[in-house]
Amino acid sequence: MNLYQNETWLHSVNPSLKLLGLTILCIGALWIHDLNYMVTVTVGILVLFLGFTGQRFRYLFLLFIPFMFIFLSTSSAMIMFGQGETTWFKWGLVHITEESFLRGMLVGLRALLFAALGLTFALTTKPVNLFYSLMQQAKLKPKYAYSFMAALRLIPIMMEEFQTIRNAMKVRGVEKQLGTQGITFKLKACSIPLLSGSIRRAHRIAVAMEAKQFSESPHRTYYYQFRFSYVDTLFILYFALLLSAGYFVAVWIPFLP
Amino acid sequence: MTKGLKLTDILVTIVIAIAFGIVYILWGPLYYALSPLGLHLDQLVYGMWFIAGPVAYLIIRKPGVAFLAEVAAASGEFLLGSPWGLSVLLYGAVQGLFAELVFMLVRYKKFNLQIAVLAATSSCAGSLLMDAAYGEIGALAAWNLTLLLAARFIGSIFFAGIMAFSLVKVLEATGVTNLVRPSSRADYAALDEDMKG
Repeated sequence: MNLYQNETWLHSVNPSLKLLGLTILCIGALWIHDLNYMVTVTVGILVLFLGFTGQRFRYLFLLFIPFMFIFLSTSSAMIMFGQGETTWFKWGLVHITEESFLRGMLVGLRALLFAALGLTFALTTKPVNLFYSLMQQAKLKPKYAYSFMAALRLIPIMMEEFQTIRNAMKVRGVEKQLGTQGITFKLKACSIPLLSGSIRRAHRIAVAMEAKQFSESPHRTYYYQFRFSYVDTLFILYFALLLSAGYFVAVWIPFLP
Repeated sequence: MTKGLKLTDILVTIVIAIAFGIVYILWGPLYYALSPLGLHLDQLVYGMWFIAGPVAYLIIRKPGVAFLAEVAAASGEFLLGSPWGLSVLLYGAVQGLFAELVFMLVRYKKFNLQIAVLAATSSCAGSLLMDAAYGEIGALAAWNLTLLLAARFIGSIFFAGIMAFSLVKVLEATGVTNLVRPSSRADYAALDEDMKG
């Protein structure tokens, strides 16, 4: 499956800028305590997620299922057990109040916002592009960036090894054990060979890179070049507009208490 | 010893961390399967998300490794498309920082079970700080909040403390840790013995 088939303008935003922008928005969202503001901003982000990630709707819908779980699991505890004065419903330990309900919605929306932002980023940014851009625009040291890229390339190999271990256990007739002992055995039997294999492989890769003169010099050249363009201005404008629109709605036409 | 981490240290740390990043992302469904009714059963398994830091530190035993590992595991989880999105990155940074602080306080000289448990507890405290801002857990009813705190601390001590330590103990038996640890005084003593003999 090719994740980046249909490119949209979000794909061509500079990856470093995209990450910085979304991180600032997330940290900022921790200080949004107004439900109206939160709703508007969340809708604005969902527009990006649904409209401009270049994915099929069927696929986006599948990705949306965990969103709902997270929304429910984050908000339900606050709704049912949060503090508040105006009681709506009381049954045993469950105590739903107006305040706890509104705060629960706020917290759930915040989780939804973070999730949508994160997935929008992950769906529109190739990891390799991100690390190349971080080296060029954010001055990330090459030894960190290349380590990340090498490690990401190892993920399919790890998956394959995991499958091999499971097959090997099946062939050798390792029987399913029940209870906690069975779980610890299984965890060890899978994780130890995987981890030790990965450490050995990582060590070999590092030795090979150094043998081939992997350099720490700041004057290195890059195969992929990243700069800023007009799309980046568009990206910043979108968020500036969204945040001011949210503020306008919250102050002038609040649709929720 | 040269200052800072070498390419080998970084690469090994990040590879371990990305492996845990896969575990982290698979851990998500388990977490929200356990979370109905807000009784905080889910908090018992939360501790798994702190494990990368202690494990990487116990394996490589160098400054900065725990923080790097937790951040790398979180970014792995993030890039693989975690349903929590960017919050995992922020949480990861804070949790890694809190674990690193514990190791810094013992000047990167202790590698026992107690220090792993202490780092796990510290990461847990960091995650709670983030929760206070992100999930506003301070506004939960007192009994509910106590339940959450207790469950999360117990889970952290078990997963990121005890399990991390025993995992590294078994890894030591495979001999793979000798590849990546800085040579100790005992190694030099052994060399001296050779020279004499």
